[in-house]
Amino acid sequence: MGSVRLENVTKRYSDVTAVDDMNITIEDGEFVSFVGPSGCGKSTTLEMIGGLTTQSEGSVYIDGTDVTDLPPKDRNLAMVFQNIALFPHMDVFDNMSYGLRIRGAEDEAIERRVDEAVETLKLEGMLDRMPSELSGGQRQRVAIGRAIVRDPEVFLMDEPLANLDAKLRVHMRTELQRIQRKLGVTAIYVTHDQEEAMTMSDRVAIINDGELQQIAPPLTCYEEPTNVFVAGFIGSPSMNFLEGTVADGRFESEIVSLDAPGVDASTDVTLGIRPEDIYPVDDHRAPTTVGTVRAEVDVIEPIGEKMFVYLRPEAADSPVEERGRAERDSLLMSVSPETELAEDEAIEVAFDQSSIHLFDAASGNALVHGLEREPTPTT
Amino acid sequence: MRCDVSDATSDTESVIDRTAHRAIRDPDTVYQWLTYAGIGFFLTISLFPFYWLVVLALTPNRAIADMGVVPKGFNPGAFLEVFEVVPFHLYMLNSVIIASLSTIIVLTVGSIAGYVFGRYDFPGRTPLLLGILVISYFPPVAFLIPLFRLFTGQVTLIGLESPELYNTPWGIVMPLSAITMPLIIFLLTTFYRQIPDGLEDAARIEGSTRIGALRRVIVPLSAPGVATAGILTFIIVYNEFFFSYLMVNGTVEGWSPVLHGIFAFQGSQQVAYNLMAAASIIGVIPMAILVMIAQERIVSGLTQGALKE
Repeated sequence: MGSVRLENVTKRYSDVTAVDDMNITIEDGEFVSFVGPSGCGKSTTLEMIGGLTTQSEGSVYIDGTDVTDLPPKDRNLAMVFQNIALFPHMDVFDNMSYGLRIRGAEDEAIERRVDEAVETLKLEGMLDRMPSELSGGQRQRVAIGRAIVRDPEVFLMDEPLANLDAKLRVHMRTELQRIQRKLGVTAIYVTHDQEEAMTMSDRVAIINDGELQQIAPPLTCYEEPTNVFVAGFIGSPSMNFLEGTVADGRFESEIVSLDAPGVDASTDVTLGIRPEDIYPVDDHRAPTTVGTVRAEVDVIEPIGEKMFVYLRPEAADSPVEERGRAERDSLLMSVSPETELAEDEAIEVAFDQSSIHLFDAASGNALVHGLEREPTPTT
Repeated sequence: MRCDVSDATSDTESVIDRTAHRAIRDPDTVYQWLTYAGIGFFLTISLFPFYWLVVLALTPNRAIADMGVVPKGFNPGAFLEVFEVVPFHLYMLNSVIIASLSTIIVLTVGSIAGYVFGRYDFPGRTPLLLGILVISYFPPVAFLIPLFRLFTGQVTLIGLESPELYNTPWGIVMPLSAITMPLIIFLLTTFYRQIPDGLEDAARIEGSTRIGALRRVIVPLSAPGVATAGILTFIIVYNEFFFSYLMVNGTVEGWSPVLHGIFAFQGSQQVAYNLMAAASIIGVIPMAILVMIAQERIVSGLTQGALKE
């Protein structure tokens, strides 16, 4: 088993920097997800750990050994690919034993290891099938089998579930976690799906534009996002953002004004509030709320255990008749489905005080998470 | 009179008209006739020479002077006599060895080149590929005199004489490999490019080197392409005349290929046309076998290549 450390890893192509000065330490046995939008450099980072892409600068350490200049085969890691990448001209046994055979393991050992993997992955009776005869989920399991038979130090996964249908994806998600726990192997998982990252990982690394934004346990990323990007990326549906200013301990924006104690910045700020932290003012279940926004219900989307309500906020100081609908962004509120609301109804909503995030508008860095708390230092 | 002329004209017109109308109404028949005409043409030009060879081979040499389209006499013994008069089987063996050596060299070097051109993006890739293409346009005869001097040990470079390759298989294998190489590099480049990156990455992560991944994953998955490349090379080298004629002295011991075996029936006193014809037919047999085997291989390669993404 092994830890993975990236030191100042940078990848430049002729005109773009795909990965910029990445520093990450992943502990032995940890499950870490790299998450970010397409083209953010998460896959490139993974390929550099795997040795498939050569970094322009920086070093990669696996289990304390500098593997920067080692070819992939000497790094003792395994990888599961997005397109599964089973060798189509080999049957399941040959696919799974490929690495062991290349490394000249004894036949007996190969059979024992493959049998163990087959048992773990419930692939009994499939060994002599060709990949083309398997279903999507079976192929995925064979690919995982190929990765685990060698007992690698690090398990790299590049969007392994992206090509599966939704139901199978959720199932394989649990399977992967189970296997990873059972083997206790260090796992690095690349995905663009923040939900996948949140549910599976010990820690989530959020990457944007080739730069590491935050690496923290999932709930920390959710509750204390380090900047506007993380705040907007983690959580579904996405956080609401309101542009405004802070002056004399008070936040002022076009649609709401509220007390912001402890924020001494007198600059432009962005207020972030998650949909589930917005409540109708008459909701008795609501915690301490601040700020009042007058709004008109635009669209209601019931999804079962909750209900998404899109609101058209009205400017705080202008009468209803003068509102410019298209000029302001809508506000998304998530409420319990029992809440009685009708489309086009005018309501008043307020924000949960402890869940308001303030970000510096210029840099995007977080200023405060929760208004009654002590301000957290910016990173 | 007037009436007659106009009648005649209208008659001719009506024949053309009727044919045209019929053709327009039923174009399939026309296409069918055109197909038959085309097939007939190609069959004649490709098969008639072969038939003519058979006729020549079966006709006894003394009756060969005023040949007809059918054999004058029946002398199948010519096909055996071929091996008695000269060691024709050894000439064939020489040819097969030379073609095989060339195929091995071309496939090995061409695979590595095809891998690099097909799967790497490096500065100067396109100019280099074009350069290779340009070399393949040179007429082979342009290389003959320098190569001949080189292979007969007449070139001295930093005090070392070039090795004597005249009358060895390498005298033919090396120039022909070089001439065939650009075509094969192009062919393999396109085939290797189609293999998904993930498969090569997987092989490398699992423990292969790049060459190992090429050998164990990329080449097997490109089997139809590699087979085609190999067969093409073999056929080109086996059928080649120019270097095969000039780089050896014509003796079996001097690694002379099949064409010298056929010329061996040209004596100073007389020419055994029937034996030359028989030898030519026998000389085609390895090619026929190869194509038959290869066809199966290519088809099986195509059906097996169930590439997923």
